[in-house]
Amino acid sequence: MQASPLAHHFESLDKQAHAARLAMWIFLATEVLLFTALFAAYSLYRFLYPEGFAQSSRSIETWIGFVNTLVLVTSSFTVATGFHHASKGNGKGTGIFFGLSVLLALVFLGFKAVEYTHHFQEGQLPGPFYHYEGVKAPGAPLYFALYFLITGLHAFHVVVGMTVLIVVGTLAYRGKYTVAYHVPVENAALYWHLVDLIWIFVFPLIYLI
Amino acid sequence: MSPSLPASEAPAYAPRNYLNAPEKGWRSWLTTLDHKRIGVMFLVATSVFFAVGGLFAMLIRIELLTPGPTIMDAMTYNRLFTLHGVVMIFLFMIPAIPSGFGNFLLPMMLGARDVAFPRLNLLSFYVYLTGAAVALYGMIAGGADTGWTFYTPYSTTTTTNVVPILLGAFILGFSSILTGLNFIVTTHTLRAPGMGWMKMPLFVWSIYATSIIQILATPVLGMTLLLVALEHAFGWGIFDPARGGDPVLFQHFFWFYSHPAVYIMVLPAMAVISEVVCAFSHKNIFGYKAVAYSSLGIAFVGFFTWGHHLFTSGQSAVDAGIFGILSMFVAIFTAIKVFNWTATLYKGSISFKAPFAYFVGFLFFLVFGGMTGVALATVSLDVDWHDTYFVVAHFHFIMVGGVIMAFLAALHYWFPKITGRMYPEGWGLVAAVMIILGFNFTFIPQFLLGNMGMPRRYFHYPERFQALNVASTAGASVLALGLVIVLVYLVLSLKFGAVAGSNPWRSRGFEWDTPSPPPPENFLVTPVITRGPHEYDDSAPDFPPSTAPEPKHAS
Amino acid sequence: MADPAAHKNEHSHRKRYLAVWVALAVLTVLTYTLARIHLPGAWAVTVALLIAVTKGTLVALFFMHLWDQTGANRLVFATSLVFVALLIGLVIADNATRFPLANPPGSLGALPAGGADRDLPEAAAETEGP
Repeated sequence: MQASPLAHHFESLDKQAHAARLAMWIFLATEVLLFTALFAAYSLYRFLYPEGFAQSSRSIETWIGFVNTLVLVTSSFTVATGFHHASKGNGKGTGIFFGLSVLLALVFLGFKAVEYTHHFQEGQLPGPFYHYEGVKAPGAPLYFALYFLITGLHAFHVVVGMTVLIVVGTLAYRGKYTVAYHVPVENAALYWHLVDLIWIFVFPLIYLI
Repeated sequence: MSPSLPASEAPAYAPRNYLNAPEKGWRSWLTTLDHKRIGVMFLVATSVFFAVGGLFAMLIRIELLTPGPTIMDAMTYNRLFTLHGVVMIFLFMIPAIPSGFGNFLLPMMLGARDVAFPRLNLLSFYVYLTGAAVALYGMIAGGADTGWTFYTPYSTTTTTNVVPILLGAFILGFSSILTGLNFIVTTHTLRAPGMGWMKMPLFVWSIYATSIIQILATPVLGMTLLLVALEHAFGWGIFDPARGGDPVLFQHFFWFYSHPAVYIMVLPAMAVISEVVCAFSHKNIFGYKAVAYSSLGIAFVGFFTWGHHLFTSGQSAVDAGIFGILSMFVAIFTAIKVFNWTATLYKGSISFKAPFAYFVGFLFFLVFGGMTGVALATVSLDVDWHDTYFVVAHFHFIMVGGVIMAFLAALHYWFPKITGRMYPEGWGLVAAVMIILGFNFTFIPQFLLGNMGMPRRYFHYPERFQALNVASTAGASVLALGLVIVLVYLVLSLKFGAVAGSNPWRSRGFEWDTPSPPPPENFLVTPVITRGPHEYDDSAPDFPPSTAPEPKHAS
Repeated sequence: MADPAAHKNEHSHRKRYLAVWVALAVLTVLTYTLARIHLPGAWAVTVALLIAVTKGTLVALFFMHLWDQTGANRLVFATSLVFVALLIGLVIADNATRFPLANPPGSLGALPAGGADRDLPEAAAETEGP
């Protein structure tokens, strides 16, 4: 099956790939800035309410965050391997490794679902639904509001990333990409790595400090 | 590149052009991938919203003719100034020049056949329409009364229907991001052979700088509006002091976007002006590199100044000091441009047509408006002027006196290229004079009002402010009439205007080397660039000679 | 049809990915164990963030190939980081240097939680709702 044909306004496949890659990096920059607002809010309130945030952070299950970090990091590794296969023209390898990554992402989401259920039971849902008595220090409701915002937005991006990996992985498995042109695989991988990168910062901020 | 037509040839209307090829009809337009058609659709849509926002403005001005209620109650008034701001900024000012003229011109100015991602381009138009529809729904369902700045805690607790407008603006942000992304990649990868970065038209430099701001600032606004919507709908409390939140945090987030946003509005205006100055003084730009780099300077330094909107909100004195000084720095880049544009006029062969008239208006209003900006950046002065009509006059000087003048200049300058026809020059100058005079009468009284202490967004005002308010409304009427005249003759010229030919202005911009209106593929053969973009005179001081040894591919 | 210049040294990338993965796993274990030791306040934050930055750098440079890519992509990513620092830095600087009573109630140096004349969470329940 033919790889992505050269578009009429590009002078070469190479230029087209470079354009697609640059576009992806620009898009990733917008994603970084999207999370920045939440990180800024978190950093500010962490600074203003050190006790409340520290106690709240200790009240949640750190080991789940730890396991989830290992899971995501491993999924990044499998995605990178999948891309490696694409660069060698081995579409089936890409499909398999992207599939593995999706499975790992499901594990991640599974753990998050367990956590969210626990928070619901403890009364840690944000805003007017908050009735958690465990942390008396001021700022605890803000911690949990931001917890849900940050991890929720991240989980949304995990789902989007999974969808992208499934679509691109399936196309790769069916031989759509070649050694000369496999930039969609690269871009899908870049998106997934960003999802991982963001979690690398979310984990210590939310769970460890 | 072919030179402009000799005087003996009559101007021709290109029979096969982007308006009728490759297909005609509604469906071909709505599914088009041609950047020129998308640009025209953006121009039409944004112009419609400009009229809507202008209507709101006239209603506000009529209401302010008397100190008490004139034609509406206070709640309606609050909704009107909110909607005036939302419509003008998000539905017109941000998209009009970049997504309208930028889309039409950028590929042609680079010698390319289209933007890098034509389908993303069409998507950006539909996202714009979707955001506009959601915001419109919000307006019809009552509209918000928070002001376009949505300050917390009022925006999170108001009983008016603020969520649809927040969501509409959120969606519009994506359109802005898509456009910016497309332009950056196009500039990097689709320049014609021979066009290095230093041979790009100055319009491209400014649009490129605009795109950088769109990419980096808009996501923060998106998240901020979403947070307000969540707090309004579900009470999550990020900005609620009762739960430990800080309402000023919203202001930090909001202005982190909204200050660079004013540069999203002004940089494209400067892009237009750079082109118009050269074309109508038939001269090379003075200081190409300075003008090019100052665009980037504005884009970056503009990000470091947002706290000047928080001077009276409880922000720390340390931050106020930092932001005050940095706000003055950003003016330096604008000053560089103003000096260079003026120097370009010197010993030029001035052609005083409508676009040039708008340039003159632009120059005066940008300089005076900009100077009042530097004054406002002085913390001790801003304490008195904040939230008064002084601030309103300042930003209208830049937004209307600067950006709208440039928009009108662009409309007139590129009308022949876009439509293949000329507008009536006499009426063009009449309208320009009315607009410039009307503008002065509208907004100079507002500087005086603000300095006398009249607060903005107030429905009632003391008797002693009435005379100046009446003067301002009178000016607004003249301004509005001028704009209506422009609309009328431009629409009529679509059908009855004289045929323009490929280059009625004898401009050296690369887009004028195509027929008018241009063919769908812009250039039948990929052009090879051998001269500079504004080259009217080979002996220009800081410009390389127009005959390059041999053309090489753009890097 | 293959473009050798774009994919030079492909054979070494697999080992690179493996090495990075191991490093990331080790650093994750490290940061988790360090957190359990409960270092004093500022140190805990600094150490955790330093490890996170290291991990992030590894992902960006090697998994995302910034190590062997053109300047444009690197510039885009680096620029976005500058603006992250800008927003977070100046926002915290504001609240850190404010007149203390201007900070939200319950935070360092400000009025007690709930404000001068309100208590949590009963007052919040009263004032809730549109």
